[in-house]
Amino acid sequence: MQENYLAKWLNNELSEEEVVKFKESKEYASYVKLREATDNLVGPDFDMAKAWEDLNKQKASKESKVVKLNPFKKYLSIAAAIALIFTATFLYYGTLNEEVSTQYAERAEIVLPDASEVQLNADSQISYSKKNWDNKRNIALNGEAYFKVAKGKRFTVTTENGTVTVLGTQFNVENRKGYFEVACYEGLVSVIYNKKEVKLPAGNSLVVINGEVQALEIPNIKEPSWIRNESNFKSIPLKYVLDEFQRQFNLEVATQNIDTEQLFTGSFSNTNKDLALQSISTPSQMKYKLEGNKVLFYAETP
Amino acid sequence: MKAIKEEHVCEDKVYASIFSTHSKTVFNYIYYKFGNEEKAYDVVQEAFIKLWENCSKVAPDKAKSYVYTIANNLYLNVIKAEKVRLKYAPGTNAVVNESPDFIMEEQEYKEKLERALQALPENQRTTFLLNRIDGKKYAEIADMEGVSVKAIEKRMHLALKTLREKIEGI
Repeated sequence: MQENYLAKWLNNELSEEEVVKFKESKEYASYVKLREATDNLVGPDFDMAKAWEDLNKQKASKESKVVKLNPFKKYLSIAAAIALIFTATFLYYGTLNEEVSTQYAERAEIVLPDASEVQLNADSQISYSKKNWDNKRNIALNGEAYFKVAKGKRFTVTTENGTVTVLGTQFNVENRKGYFEVACYEGLVSVIYNKKEVKLPAGNSLVVINGEVQALEIPNIKEPSWIRNESNFKSIPLKYVLDEFQRQFNLEVATQNIDTEQLFTGSFSNTNKDLALQSISTPSQMKYKLEGNKVLFYAETP
Repeated sequence: MKAIKEEHVCEDKVYASIFSTHSKTVFNYIYYKFGNEEKAYDVVQEAFIKLWENCSKVAPDKAKSYVYTIANNLYLNVIKAEKVRLKYAPGTNAVVNESPDFIMEEQEYKEKLERALQALPENQRTTFLLNRIDGKKYAEIADMEGVSVKAIEKRMHLALKTLREKIEGI
């Protein structure tokens, strides 16, 4: 037998005599089986359209560094980029046909086509494409949601503030006015904020308040507290706490003589209104008045 | 007849066609080495950005090996590879009247094969999978890896031999 005859055999390069000789050997059957078994192997998933899109984004951001010798060509590429963005946006929004939203004091649980789960907190909205889900796991989010992602292709959550991508894990995204938070409970989450990518391993969170980025550890719990009907805060300006309170109980909140930028650490119940009111007011040394669906928080006067 | 005017990689059309022809193979190539889809994806991005940045210096017929060289260098910068997990094409083995025993044996065989593939040295696994999954010719793989065709045949031969021995527990 010649050198490397197995490689030659697989490539049909053996001479007839060699084939006959090889067929007589006792290993021949095993090699045939090995060849058959590996005929059915498939490679990993590769989303070429997305890769191309990402590449163009990166190219666009690097474009400015390249000195162009032909000025007309520059305009051509800009025109092409604009056309591409328009087409991409059009295609993207065209595919987001499924929509789920919650009102104040409401919650929803959604099972996606691949059995990934989404829990939607109050006053939030998601949209995605049911039809195209197998191709692209893409969700647009406004508000707050907790995701349990089934293993598979890249799963992307797009928000106004940033983009979150994962392959299969559990994480929470909160996207409110002036406030953006991503917490990872399992696996690894990649967050793109302000064109910068941050990798969040399990047990970590990223909080952005008014453009200021903070990396925090999350308490060692398996899921966000709101799933268990509790809203939890750690050094968060009071106004975001009151916003959340408003969303959970569908109340109108007003304040008087209160610094809403002061930091609040603690939690409140999402089911018991009176308990919640006390949990918020006592540590911040405030008093409150509840009338109908209006709450007024005011400073305690000595 | 060859085209007289040489095409340029900086032209969007040329660049796009290089991307669509080679991006998937680069992705698979790095995945077979790394076992990590995310990293493989990043490597594809980085390699093609480099190609774009240097598009005026790279001739179109060299673009392919340029991209592989960069992908390879990026790979070398990473220390530890994870496990390579592969799937089987659905339905290819789905014959209805198979006995349960047979199906179980097949399943067992697949698992053994998977473990054996993971245990292969990186260069043998990459060569083997590029040929078996992506249908790359030995000469093409030799080009990517920057070695001779004979070296690739050697790797292929050893890969087959080792896989068989591992699967049969020799």
